Amino acid sequence: MTNQKLALSQQNIQEWVSLYADDLFRWALHKTGVKETAEDLVQETFLVAFKSLDRFQGKSKPKTWLFSIINNKIIDYHRRNFKEASKNHHLNFERKGESDVLNQFFDNSDTWKSNEKPSNWNELEGHLLDDHEFNMVLDGCMKNLPGHWYSAIQLKYLDQKSGNEICQELGITSSNYWKMLQRAKLQLRDCIEKKWFKE
Amino acid sequence: MKKLMNILMLSCKRASGLIEKKANLSLNPFEKIQLFIHTGMCDACKNYEKQSRDLDSILDKHIHSTKPESSKDTLSTDIKNKIISDLENK
Repeated sequence: MTNQKLALSQQNIQEWVSLYADDLFRWALHKTGVKETAEDLVQETFLVAFKSLDRFQGKSKPKTWLFSIINNKIIDYHRRNFKEASKNHHLNFERKGESDVLNQFFDNSDTWKSNEKPSNWNELEGHLLDDHEFNMVLDGCMKNLPGHWYSAIQLKYLDQKSGNEICQELGITSSNYWKMLQRAKLQLRDCIEKKWFKE
Repeated sequence: MKKLMNILMLSCKRASGLIEKKANLSLNPFEKIQLFIHTGMCDACKNYEKQSRDLDSILDKHIHSTKPESSKDTLSTDIKNKIISDLENK
């Protein structure tokens, strides 16, 4: 890079830090739930942006470009976090002698426990998401999930890939994948019902 | 009797799993029939399947939505300065 070019790009990046760093941080915080992780992701994003500035060429808005970088970083983070967090948990559910989340919801004959039966939710519509309190409840319930389930759920919706592709990425069997989603969904559903519909 | 019924028409525990398998991967023909019969007869599992799909669309929107504007979280000035000085030294 020539000196002139370098000076120009540094000026750009400095400006972008003051303009977009907070937005990027809030976005990453919302998607990871961990302050330190969000801080790291924003720093890495600017580093990548700086290194590949010549590929930017002003074809898109700087903000759009920075967000596309951080979105990839967020997906990478969840893949890593899934692998890291699942080291401490066996993914082979239903092992004999191990406690299973499912026992919380089903009795000995594998039927819903009477107090856990899903009842009819009356109002579960789009406008709920405009409700700040509902979003807070949802965030809280998501964070109650074990770390690797949380990352798997985030990936499922962020990555927009098929179930089979996600299994490959995470290095798990399809049966481990749907059994994990089953448990995560049961727990989320229960949490939302208790904290939103019954309070 | 209950056990035999569970094998033929699934238990609720297994149905709640196949509901996720159906939405994310695929069911074999036998599982399809089992789940169809089960949710046809079991209101709790029928509600559960509906809620699980509702949750999918809620989570999808929630995860893609930007945080409400009211969010006051900001990146600390220290870190912003660090980013700038790190880049200057590159």
